[in-house]
Amino acid sequence: MPKPIKIFVRYVDAVNYAVGRFAMYLFFVIGGVLIYATLSRVVAGVPVNWAIELSQFVLSAYYLLGGAYSMQLNGHVRMDLIYASSSPQKRALTDAITILFVIFYLVVLFMGGLSATNYAIVYGQKNYSSWAPLLWPIKVIMTFGIFLMLLQTISTFFKDIAAARGTPIE
Amino acid sequence: MSSEFITLFMFATMMLLLLTGQRVFGVIGFVGTAAALWLWGEGSFEMPFNASFQVLNWYPLITVPFFVFMGYMMSESGIASNLYRMFHVWFGSINGGLALGTIGLMVLISCMNGLSVAGMAIGATIALPELLRRGYNKVMVTGVVQAGSSLGILIPPSVVLVLYAMIARQPVLQLWIAGVLPGLMMATIFAVYIYVRCRLNPELGPALSEEELAEITWGEKISLLREGLMPLAIFGLMMGMFLTGVTSLVESSAVGALLTVIGAVIERKLSWKVMEASLRNTLSVTCMFLWLILAALCFSAVYDGLGAVKAIENLLVSSWNFDPWTILIIMLISFIVMGAFLDDTAMLVIVAPLYIPLVIKLGFNPIWFGVLYTVTCQIAYITPPFGYNLFLMRAMAPPEITLIDIYRSIVPFFFLMVISLIILIIFPQITLWLPELYAGR
Repeated sequence: MPKPIKIFVRYVDAVNYAVGRFAMYLFFVIGGVLIYATLSRVVAGVPVNWAIELSQFVLSAYYLLGGAYSMQLNGHVRMDLIYASSSPQKRALTDAITILFVIFYLVVLFMGGLSATNYAIVYGQKNYSSWAPLLWPIKVIMTFGIFLMLLQTISTFFKDIAAARGTPIE
Repeated sequence: MSSEFITLFMFATMMLLLLTGQRVFGVIGFVGTAAALWLWGEGSFEMPFNASFQVLNWYPLITVPFFVFMGYMMSESGIASNLYRMFHVWFGSINGGLALGTIGLMVLISCMNGLSVAGMAIGATIALPELLRRGYNKVMVTGVVQAGSSLGILIPPSVVLVLYAMIARQPVLQLWIAGVLPGLMMATIFAVYIYVRCRLNPELGPALSEEELAEITWGEKISLLREGLMPLAIFGLMMGMFLTGVTSLVESSAVGALLTVIGAVIERKLSWKVMEASLRNTLSVTCMFLWLILAALCFSAVYDGLGAVKAIENLLVSSWNFDPWTILIIMLISFIVMGAFLDDTAMLVIVAPLYIPLVIKLGFNPIWFGVLYTVTCQIAYITPPFGYNLFLMRAMAPPEITLIDIYRSIVPFFFLMVISLIILIIFPQITLWLPELYAGR
């Protein structure tokens, strides 16, 4: 594999690992918000109107920012009846071809994200609720998460090609 | 081109691509996106992203990471192995006792687990090695773990029922309560099957030897029983707060996760290593689950736009003139067949919106249908070529268990599950008695 590709793969993997580890701890943020809301209402008698929305936002950040790391962890299910019984090299070859479909999906997803984020910024779009937060910050985070997932998929594509040629990266 | 043809074409393409072994979310998302662009042109390029906003607005999905975390906490902290030891000392003296204990363990884990993954992890890493060491029949026990852990999606808290509740617009609480008795019934059916087989052929599950039994003191028996009560106490507290309306669904899940951590601290089993592993697994499973839903929503938006709901209704009700019961049975069979090939989460998002309006229109109870659906999912979990539990089993099983063993092991449990499904269809009271009791209080 050419050197620039190797560098790309190394950097993408490292960045996504770091972002994914960060996303992993967002679990505590969601939990903290919900526990705070529960205590505030049950113990202090003060209902909190932003808890659910905020946890929804954080959950979106959690799974979109963590998506690439979960791909590194091989967490995404496959239908592996034929796949599991073929040789690693053959597997890498099929993957290198079929992952192009995944890249296509993620590119369209990313373009949709850019357009929706742009709209939210230009028109100052707010969520339709009593708290009515601005929507662009979460859309920026979501679109960024999709972008990282796209990079990770491209990195995986290179790794598959390398493995199919019998010269795996790493 | 007719919408039936397009729908069929989409499904066929998806199945074909899934067979290549590419990640399921990517395949489903690609077929949905490509179909949208092909049908409606460039203007529809925002559609896949818009699905992410539907995920955002389905707020009960916030429960997913918490119910997954609770299961992993049980498994990583080693609390689950103590539970297993409890069943061991109490049931060890009878033939097949440990296999029965595994079913008991799975029921307890199901009370804290919203999906079947943590149950599978516990079954494959704690129960299986011990069962094999004691000379249990490997085909039988592999089936026990897979079937037992599938109860995780039927016994509350259940993430599958949460997802169904959102799609069918039914109360989660009613669905969860409805899942209790069918879940216990299935556990009992599995247990009776194991007991009878081991009774007829004691070699399948040898009992503990006299010496080993003599070593177990009453003190140990009692202290293990006390530890065994902890998951039940956490479940009781969490469900109690939810049932009495102190906490909402989403809050209950966070409270449950907090209680599990506190429980692990009390048992002196919480370390950074345990926490890190639980968090990492939770992230991995939650991302897998939510990315699948994201992709499946994009897919289903396409034929939603095509009016496939009406098309299916016309086909079944007007064209073929089926009576309601035939339609119900066709639906359930199609769930089992499709579930064998497709991931059940994706299946729920893709197929349920087509079926549920029709189910309600035909006069069936949507709560009852939700439970029937979940049982078909359990069947799908263990049926090849694609099943979550099969997938996990291949990844986690000890090396002496071969692929053939895994496939052979599910045969009896497949039939036991189908029998359970038939019982639940014939006697809706089993499902609906508790929800009605609760609603009428």
